[in-house]
Parts: sequence; structure tokens; C-alpha cells
Amino acid sequence: MKRLRKDRVSAFLREMNESETVLCPCSVDDRDNLLMPFEEGSRREPVGKTTNSAKGVLFPQKEDIITFMGDHISKETATDKVLVFGIRPCDMMGIHFTDRFMTRGGFRDPHYSARRKNLTIIVVACHEPPSESCFCLDAERKPYLDEGFDLQLFDAGDGYIVVPGSSRGETLMGTHAFEDSHRGDTAKLEEIKKKSLDSQRTRPGFSKAVERLKRDGPDEAFWESLALKCIDCGSCVYVCPTCTCFNVFDRSAETGFVRTRTWDACLHAGFTRETSGHNPRPTFGSRLARRHEHKLKFDVMNYNEAGCVGCGRCTDACPVGLGAIEIIEAING
Amino acid sequence: MTNSIAEFEDAEAFLVIGSNTTEQHPLIASKIISAVAKKGAQLIVADPREIPLAKMAAIHLRHKVGTDVALLNGLMHIILKEGLEARTYIRERTENFEEMRSIVSDYPPEKVRELTGVDSGDLEKAARIYAGHEKAMLVYAMGITQHITGTDNVKSCANLAMLTGHVGYGSTGVNPLRGQNNVQGACDMGALPNVFSGYQSVSDPAIREKFQAAWHVQGMDESPGLTVTEMLEGAEAGKIKALYVLGENPVVSDPNAKHAARALKQLDFLVVQDIFMTETARLANVILPASGFAEKTGTFTNTERRVQLSREAMAPLEGTKPDWEIICELSGRCGYPMDYDSPMGILDEINQLTPSYGGITHERIKDTWGLSWPCPDKDHPGTPFLHRGRFARGLGRFEPKEFIPPAELPDEEYPFVLTTGRIRFHYHTGTMTRRIPLLEREAPTAVLEMNPADARRLRLKNGNMVAVESRRGELRMPVAVTTVVPEGVVFSTFHYGENNINELTIGAVDPVSKIPEYKNCAVSIRRL
Repeated sequence: MKRLRKDRVSAFLREMNESETVLCPCSVDDRDNLLMPFEEGSRREPVGKTTNSAKGVLFPQKEDIITFMGDHISKETATDKVLVFGIRPCDMMGIHFTDRFMTRGGFRDPHYSARRKNLTIIVVACHEPPSESCFCLDAERKPYLDEGFDLQLFDAGDGYIVVPGSSRGETLMGTHAFEDSHRGDTAKLEEIKKKSLDSQRTRPGFSKAVERLKRDGPDEAFWESLALKCIDCGSCVYVCPTCTCFNVFDRSAETGFVRTRTWDACLHAGFTRETSGHNPRPTFGSRLARRHEHKLKFDVMNYNEAGCVGCGRCTDACPVGLGAIEIIEAING
Repeated sequence: MTNSIAEFEDAEAFLVIGSNTTEQHPLIASKIISAVAKKGAQLIVADPREIPLAKMAAIHLRHKVGTDVALLNGLMHIILKEGLEARTYIRERTENFEEMRSIVSDYPPEKVRELTGVDSGDLEKAARIYAGHEKAMLVYAMGITQHITGTDNVKSCANLAMLTGHVGYGSTGVNPLRGQNNVQGACDMGALPNVFSGYQSVSDPAIREKFQAAWHVQGMDESPGLTVTEMLEGAEAGKIKALYVLGENPVVSDPNAKHAARALKQLDFLVVQDIFMTETARLANVILPASGFAEKTGTFTNTERRVQLSREAMAPLEGTKPDWEIICELSGRCGYPMDYDSPMGILDEINQLTPSYGGITHERIKDTWGLSWPCPDKDHPGTPFLHRGRFARGLGRFEPKEFIPPAELPDEEYPFVLTTGRIRFHYHTGTMTRRIPLLEREAPTAVLEMNPADARRLRLKNGNMVAVESRRGELRMPVAVTTVVPEGVVFSTFHYGENNINELTIGAVDPVSKIPEYKNCAVSIRRL
């Protein structure tokens, strides 16, 4: 355990930025909080919750995955070292969730995996909910992590208490930016964690909704009536830390052809439309049902873990009030 | 719009007529949806098609295509009959009421039902909802304007709003939703045949003198120029020799499109300025490559008259220039130098010459969400809604109109009404959106929406190919069998240059605004 003074954070990031790309939450025009390349003066406390999830660091909105030039096919993958500072535990849990799909089992995504290998993550635990829409406790997560990070920072007021979660974290913590922990920091850490848990608003209903969906989910009419409001913008999907569906297309470039993938959204009709024209999810309601059943029912059945980490970004992003919070409330009636 | 977007949230009732809001103005639609779903606002949708908003509506008035004046007169008739009009407001703030009363007295529900097909009970309910709420917003778009009676339709909307006192207050008003991010700005800046910027008339000698002095020129023409439809007519007749087209694709977007292409080919000289190769640019003698929105700095004026600064996010692609630089350079080479150092220099001039933009300076909009005109001076806070206290012209004048049927009605030879519109995945002629694979996947081809009853009669199933023919051309496309369209009406979109529905639409125009009747023409359909 170590300490990092708040006024030393920028110096530490500046130093790291010399050897790798450092990303940190930056408030843009005091409105959107985005993960941006570290620049002098751009980083500000408090860290907050970014408008978009951190998934774009590993799975960019748009990336070229294969290049065809004459007889030559190349699959270039990222090799840049990246350090992300200041993402929240919910984002880290989102990354763990997508790791399972992208890096393990029968399918290994080379682009995601290459970025993941080169990624260092410094999580800042939430000592209080960064926004109104947070519901991580209810989503059976916590406002801090027990494992699965490189470094985790706990806000102790005058500075951060720093806990390592990997050998990379241990190495980082050995650098001169970090100071020895204070006497009593172990007890203090427990106190912060407890306060942090207590400060989280609970929106009871998540587990009830999961049970309801597992048992005998609401019927078609329920989803269709909710979906009347949906304007098919896809915002909930794009901001979600665990949504990783993508579309692939080929385009001609100056030197040949490039295969590109972009984020996609299961709410769009074309996502499930078959070549014949038949669409197994033909209505907004059926697509809305699929999206939420996937996260709250099938992920729980398959992985014993919901595909929703309780970050609340979909509720923030939805222009018509159809985020996870509202859906869960509606399922519970 | 007389009112502003934020006011939608507090409205108690909406009349949405001729606007498929969720498709074309989804963020404004989201505010309507929230007001209805969360706050219990009453929604009336008037549209021949069962648009998505209709599913949330208290009442859906499914009037026949092109019968808007009859429908609106019918609503006013009921409002007057039931004494729901805003008497004090009419007395104090309007004029020509008696003529109005006399014309709409001739539109009783039974007659309106005959003309529009709308049930009298529904019409009465809608009239009571709209007149009965203090904060009622009337919202329209191209379904009102793209008719030979477009101007009459707009005036009838204004009549209804004034009759019920729904102009000049928050969350009320007559709210045309503009179709492009800057179409309001283009009109504001005088990209119209009869006005300078800020709607200052070219026929007013004092206004001409002001601009002549500012621009150091003499003898500016006092007569209005031509509208787009008149320019193409002129080209075909050989009266127009050269045309300079900026950011428009008339080969696809003009009605009776084959005729438009023929007209352009008659020109001696065609210049097209655009960011992509369009169907129109292919006909050009000279193409001037322009920069895209993210490659330039300037202002956009949106549907609520809000002027916002947009900054260059990336350098222009090599070989392209922002539109203003191209125009300035062209002007210089034609012998009139325009020496603006930047878009801000142009805004300075706008501030000086355009009273409604007088206080919308670079300084005031550079770090804000912008300002809504009129904003005459640097201390003015901008104007979220118009006509507060009094109308801009003094008294609001009722302009009653009689119903006139569309130019081309269905007959034995062409038994279907074809109405055209848009879908959310593509923008206009698809110049930009059809280059985006995900959008193209969602909506790759033109389809013809047809009611199941008609499909049965023609022995058609979803996806069957048909030939659609009007007096002007023939196209082939698959049918989409759906109850969204009523019997006897088919619908398609104009986003697809390779299968361009505007080859079928009619060139008939509104006599005042010259807008074509894209919303109504007669077609026949046969199975292939």
C-alpha cells in the first residue's frame, strides 16, 4: 500500500506520458467528461464518471481490421502501450466482462487482445456515487474492486491511498511519484470502503427484475408498449461498457481494400435482418426485449453475472428515458 | 419556429400535422414523447400515414393526402361552434376575424368528413383538446408545405393557432420543424429571391441603399430573382444560360426529375460546388470541391432560430476549401474582391447589416449554446419565442382559405395516390448518408409501402417487385405491405438516386412559394 498526493498526479501522468499514451477523464467545455489523451492542464479533479464507457480504449468505435493489397493480406494489431487513469470500478468490471468474450473461450479477438495486453489501468474507487444514475450496488457490484486492476486509488481527502492489483501495478508503485503509506492507512482504507458502500443509493429492484425475467418475463405487449418511446438512436448501446456488437464492411482504399468494423446496435432492425428479408426481431419491442433479456437474464444464466454493471450511462444517454433504470422499474411494475 | 425546443417539455397538448417527427426530428420527438409519457400531455397527430407518434396519440386524424385546409377549417368550425375560441385575444391582438368566421362556417364536420375522410367525433375531440389547453403547440413539417396549397396550409395553421390564442406565449406557437441544420440560416442570410439578409426586402429603396453603401456598389436590382423551380424552367426554355449550384442535388431532389436533368443539360455552363460527386455534379462543366462541416468554422442557425458557432475540428481535405473561401475567391476573379479575413469577419458584417442578428456577435456565442434571433443589440438576451405581447406586424391577421384539391387526383388509369417522404437512416438524396455502411444496411433500397387490402387485390406479397408508373415515368421496386399507409395510398422515399421516386412526382407548384407538390401525385401499380 502506498500514497499518491493529489498534487502529484499530473506530474506522475506527465512522466508516464513520455513512454506510453496516457488517457484520463477530461471535462470538455464543462459538459462532457471524456477519456482524452493527457495534456498539460486538461486534467482536473474530481475524476467524475465519463460520459462514454472506457470500452473504446480496447474496442474503438471504428477500426480497420484487415488490409488487402494485391496478394498481400495484413492483419495489423495495435502495439502502443496505453495507460488509462481514473476510470471507475464499474468501467473496470465492464472490461472484465468483455474480456471473457473477446479473449477467452473459442473466440479470441486479436485486436482487442493486443490492446488489452498493452493496457495499464489505474482505477479510482468511488467514495460517493459520481452521478445520480449510479446503481452499482443494486447491480450486485461494488463502488470499489477487490481484484482485476493494476492500481486502485482510494480518495482519502488529502491524497489517494494506492493499492496494487497486479505485478505491473507493483512496479508502477515502486516509482518515485508514490510515497509511503501513512500510519493507520489500513484501517482508514476499510473506513473509506465502508463509507463508500453506505453512500451508494440503492434502487432495489435489479435482482427482482432478473428473477422475474428468468421465471416468466413480461409479455410481448409489455415490451411493445415500452418501445413506443424508442427512437432507435442506439445511444444506450454505444455508451454501454459491456455492449460489443459490431458491424463489418469492406471499402476500397488508395492501396487496395480495407475491412473495417464499427460499433453496431442490436436495436437497429438491420442487425438481425436476414438475407431473405425475414427478421426474427421485427419490431422495436422485440429488439428492446432481446437487449435487456440478454443482459439481465441470459448473461446471468450463462455466466452467473448480469451483463449490466450498474453504471447508469444508458439512463443518462437515452433521450426518451428508456435506460436500464427505467426498464428495471418497468419490469418490476 | 415561433417557439423554442425547450418549451416542448412543458406543453400540455400538441397538434402534430404533416411531420413524421420521430423519423426526421428525433430529438424534438423525444421531447414530445416525454411530455406525453411522463407528464400526460395530450397528443393529436394529423397524418394520412400511421407514423410512429400516432401510436402514442390521444387521437390520430388520418385525413386524405392534400386535404389539410379542409381539416384545419373543420377544427376551427367546431371551435367556433362550441365557443372555444380565445375571444379576448382575437379582439385585442388580431384582425380580419369576421372573414375567417364566414369562411370556416362553411366547413361543418359532415362536409369535412366527406372531404378528408375523418370521423366527425374524432375531429370534435381534437378541436376540444387543442383549444382546451393553454399550452398547446402546433407542429408541422413538409407534410404541410409540399403541396400546391402549401402556403394556404401554413396560413390555416396560423389561423387555428391565433383563433385559440396559442401564439405569443411559452409552449405554444406555430412550429415548422426545419429540415436541415442550417436551412433557417440560409433563409436568414437572404438565400431567397426577394430579400437581403434578415428578410429585408430588395424592393425597399432604403434597404437597397444600405447594402449598396456597405458593399460599395451601385444599381442593385429591385426586382426579385427566381426560385429554384423557376430557374430550371428557365434553363429548359433557354432563358437561363448558366447555373451555380451549391450543396444541392436537383437531379434527384427536384420533382419530375428526368425533366430536371433535361433542363440542366440545356445550360451552356453548369458549376456545382459540393463535398461529394453527386448526380448533379456529373452534369457539371466545373466542379468546385468544398469542405465538410467539420472542416470549417462558421455559424449554423437551427430550427428555433438559434445561431450557434461551429468550429473547424480537422483541416480541410487537400484540394478543398470552405464554401465562403470559394465564393470570395470566385467573386474576386469576377472583379469584385471580398476581403474577409475569416468567418468572424463575415459575422461582423452580418451584425451590422441585419437588425435581427445585430447582437449575435462572435464574442457572445463563442463559449455558449448560442442566441436565438431577434437579438438586435449586444445586451439583448435573444428571443426564445416570438410575438410576445404583440405580433411582429402589429395585429395578427387571419388569412382564411378555401380548400383546393391536389393537382393530380387518382383516376381509372392511375388509381393510387403516391406520397413521398423520408426515413431516419438517410438524409435527402443520400449524398452523405449512403456512404455510411451501417445506415445503408438499415435501408439499402427504395421500397413502396402499400396497404394489405390493396396488396391482396393486386395479389402482392411483401417484397414482390412492382412497376410504379405515373404520367412522368416508371420505376421498379419491392412493395412493403403495411398498415402504415391507408388504402389507396402508396408511400416511398426520395433518398435513392438509382431508383429515384422524383422521376414520378409532379412538377405542379404552390403559386406563392413555388414549392412542388411532392406529397401527392397519381400512379398505377402492376405486379412484375
